[in-house]
Formats: sequence, C-alpha cells, structure tokens
Amino acid sequence: MVSSNAPRDPVPAGAGRLIRAVEWLVLRIAAAWPFLLFFVGFFLFWEYAVILFGVPGYILPTPSEIVTRGWADIPRLLDYTLVTGTESVLGYLLAVAVGLPIGLAIAFSPMLRRTVYPFFVSLEMVPKIAFAPLFIAWLGFGLLPKVIIVVLVCFFPVALNSIHAFGSLSDELTRFCRSTGAGPLRTFWKVRLPAALPQCFVGFKYAALNATVGATIAEFMGSDQGLGFYISIATGNMRPDLAFAGIFFLTLLGLALFGCVTLAERLLIPWHISQRRH
Amino acid sequence: MAATIDIKSLSKTFGTGPQAVHAFGPVDLTIEAGSFVSLLGPSGCGKSTLMLMVAGLLEASEGAIYFDGERVGAPRTDIGIMFQDNTLVPWRSVEGNIALQLELRGLDPKPYAGRIRDLLRSVKLDGFAARHPYELSGGMQQRAAFCQALVHEPETLLFDEPLGKLDAMTRESIRTDLQALWMTRRPTVVFVTHSIEEAVQLSSVVCVVTPRPGRIERTIEIDLPWPRDMEVKASPAFTRYVHDIQGIFRDYGVL
Ligand SMILES: Nc1ncnc2c1ncn2[C@@H]1O[C@H](COP(=O)(O)OP(=O)(O)OP(=O)(O)O)[C@@H](O)[C@H]1O
Ligand SMILES: [Mg+2]
Repeated sequence: MVSSNAPRDPVPAGAGRLIRAVEWLVLRIAAAWPFLLFFVGFFLFWEYAVILFGVPGYILPTPSEIVTRGWADIPRLLDYTLVTGTESVLGYLLAVAVGLPIGLAIAFSPMLRRTVYPFFVSLEMVPKIAFAPLFIAWLGFGLLPKVIIVVLVCFFPVALNSIHAFGSLSDELTRFCRSTGAGPLRTFWKVRLPAALPQCFVGFKYAALNATVGATIAEFMGSDQGLGFYISIATGNMRPDLAFAGIFFLTLLGLALFGCVTLAERLLIPWHISQRRH
Repeated sequence: MAATIDIKSLSKTFGTGPQAVHAFGPVDLTIEAGSFVSLLGPSGCGKSTLMLMVAGLLEASEGAIYFDGERVGAPRTDIGIMFQDNTLVPWRSVEGNIALQLELRGLDPKPYAGRIRDLLRSVKLDGFAARHPYELSGGMQQRAAFCQALVHEPETLLFDEPLGKLDAMTRESIRTDLQALWMTRRPTVVFVTHSIEEAVQLSSVVCVVTPRPGRIERTIEIDLPWPRDMEVKASPAFTRYVHDIQGIFRDYGVL
C-alpha cells in the first residue's frame, strides 16, 4: 500500500471494477509464474522419472495415473473427504470454543496462572497424538473419538496463544487505560481484545494445520471410513495411486480449513494484515 | 483551573530486602499552577517513577502528592499523559485513536469532532485523520499521540520524554507546538527530558535531578522572554543557563 496524502480512489463502478479485478488476477499470476513453473516442472519430472527408471506402479505411480485412477473412484473420495472434514471442523471449532475462554481465564487469574498454566505448559511437551489409540480403545470407531483427538491436538495452540495474547498488553497501554478511569469491561472491549487478536490468530492458524493431521491419524488407528482409513487401506492393497489421491484430497481439506481461518483473520483484523505487509 | 501539585517527602523503593532498589527521593517540590516544569536528569534517576506517582499510576513508598491539597490515591483522570512510547493502537485511525481517549472515559466522541479537527490542524496532521499509525512517520505518530493526550482538555499535562526518539528537526517543530499550546491555555506541565537545551527553552522552572536515587537539589527559574524562538535561543542569557546546568551535571559526575 502506498502512503501518500492523496485520497484513495473511490471504488470504481461496474465495468471499471471488473477490469480492475482482471488486472489484479493477471498481476498475481504474473507475480507467481516462477512458482507455477516450478510446480509444473516438479510434476513433469516425477512423471518422466518414474517412466524412465521403470519404477513399478505398486511402488510409485505417475501423477497422470493418480489422476485417472483417483477420478474413477471420485464418489468415494468425496464422501470420505466429507467424513474427515466433519471430524476436523467439529474438533477444531470445539477446541477454539473451549481453548479461547480457558486461555482468557488463565490470562486474567493470577491463581490459575500459578496452577493450571504450568500444567498446560508441561502437557505441551507430551505428544498428544500418542493418546489416539487410547481414545479409540475407550470410545470405539465412531465420530466421537476422532473429534476428541482433533480437539486434543488443536486445544493447546489455541489456549497457550490466547494466554500469551491476553497477558501481554504493554505497560504503557495499560497505564493509559487506567489513567482514563475506564473499568475492566470497557478496557477489555476497547483495548485488550483487539490488541490480543493477532496473537490469538497465530494459535488459530497453527491449530487449523493440526486439525486434519489429528483426524487422519485417528482414522489410521481405527475407523471404517474417512480419508485416513482410505489411505491406509489403499496402501495395504498395494494401491499407492489411490493413497496419493487420498492425500491430495486431505491436502485440499487442510488448505480449505486454513484458508477459512485466514479469511476470518482478514475480516476481523484487516489492520494487522496491512501492517504486516510493511 | 490548572492545579498546583505539592510533592511532600516523596520516595520510592522497588522490591524488598537485599534486592531493594531505592529509585527516587526523598523529594519536596511544589509545582505552581500554570507553570511549565522540566525534570532534567541522567538516565535511571527516577524521572519516570516520579511521573507515574504524580499520575497516581504507581504507589509511593513514602510521602505523598497533593493536587490543590487533595491527596493522590488512585489514577488521576483529569490529566493528560504522553509516554516515551506512544499509546496509539494499530487498529484505529489517527482520529479513532484520539477518540479512544474519550471512549475509554465513557464520552461520546461525536461532539468532539470539531475539537479533534482543530487539534490535528494545530500539529499539521490535517489530511491524516483517517490514516492508521503504521502509515505515519515516528514524528507524525508522536504528534498524533500529542492530540490524544490533549483531547479531553486536561488542566495538567505530564510528558515523559515524548520527543526522545525523534530526530532533531521534528523535535524542534513539536517543541514549538507545545510551547504555543502552553502559552495559550496555561495548563500545569511536567516535562521529563534528557536535553538541557530543551528544558531551558520550554520551562518556567527547571528541576535538576541527581543520579539515582534521584533528588531535586536545584530548581532553576528560567527568566527569559516568551515565546522562546530562535532569537532567544541565540541570546547570551540562554547560553548562560545551559552552561550553568551543564556545570551542575559535571559536578554530579554525569557529564
Ligand atoms: N518496576 C521496577 N522494578 C524495579 N526497579 C525499577 C522498576 N522501575 C524502575 N526501576 C528502577 O528505578 C530506577 C529509576 O527508574 P526510572 O524509569 O524512573 O528512571 P528514569 O529517570 O525515567 O530513566 P530514563 O531517563 O532512562 O527513562 C532505575 O534504576 C530502575 O532500575
Ligand atoms: Mg524514564
């Protein structure tokens, strides 16, 4: 963004706006061409290296095989994407709904800071995913154990970043608020909350990356549907082409989740994004 | 009416036991209503500590502070404070940041629109009302913070080295703004600075603070004509004050 004293252009109407959007798109593609070229090059290399070295299909398929075989199985892949997506999104939302208020409470309560907080920090060292088999054993093959495992891997980034976010208002801003005589509630809405949001989103985004990982591993452990289940069955059947197709849809799922969180960040704290660009 | 500030055998010690740091005092000082008093002293002598105690944002270890005879016990809401690092928030425009001072006080900023505009014009920030802090230079941010500290029309102003991080030219121009404001409205101003010249130029009284634990052994009335423009700064009398104060710091072993 260019800083100048001139007023910003008014939003152009109709055709003007379309031309601008197309212009923007062309510019973005133009700016991304080295990456796109690399991307295309990578898959071409993969394709022809497999053919050239005669790697058998049950070890490593070519990208074109993955696409054609995956396409043939598309109804099941979409179905399972929905299953894994449901687990991830439910678990993620639950982790945020629980982690954010708990983080808030710990940030503002000296008592909790001395008891629960160090407990959380030490739990952070435990690889949460190691609990997955236990939850499967306790709760069976259904949706619930998967959601709980996703909650487990998403909760800590959300909670710990919220504690950090709400507990680190600068001395100067704290004093400024006190000098106005504002009560705790008004200070919270006007200053503490907006000041904390960027750090909260660091946690939200990190958790979004964890969500699909948690769901997939939970499905590896024990399930009869979902992309994790699909990948492990395909691998067992010596069908790496289908496993890759499953991985592709998992990637799409992860990207979609991360994209939604990034979009929310953009909408909620646009000032932070524009500041970060500098 | 601007307030007279009485500081009575005030001192501050941080911590307890062997780790205690005696930061400041004991100090007795009277700051007359409508005067411009500078606190001039080396780094770490307790200037910020004193400022926070005056504002009621930090408890004194001993002694007390009185505003027109009323003892300071809680944060005072009738003052304007400018800190070394400005208190602009990144999610609000310049205008919104100034309004924040009012909103935190439970005031509706709408009736103040005209006043905000006048303030911005007085520091040459008109045209930047809708900009965000990251779009401003350091000096412009500090000028916006200046408006933020003044919008609720405080009768007492506390400045803790607000110009510390600025370049010489910007400092000079904000000093001029500050002086003009003081001359027209005559608030009581307490101004912390490291710069001897700045203190002599702006103040009716300069308090020289000793190295930590800070004490005020010398208060010097600056008897120079107002406004203290370039002519005054070039006068022998001005140079004399600066020289004398340098002498005091040399005797303290600071210079
Ligand atoms: N919260 C605190 N805890 C312990 N010691 C403190 C605290 N705040 C300040 N001090 C000590 O008190 C002394 C005075 O600090 P203060 O910030 O008032 O100095 P200052 O004169 O404003 O310095 P400067 O010009 O560098 O800003 C310093 O020696 C500092 O170490
Ligand atoms: Mg200081």
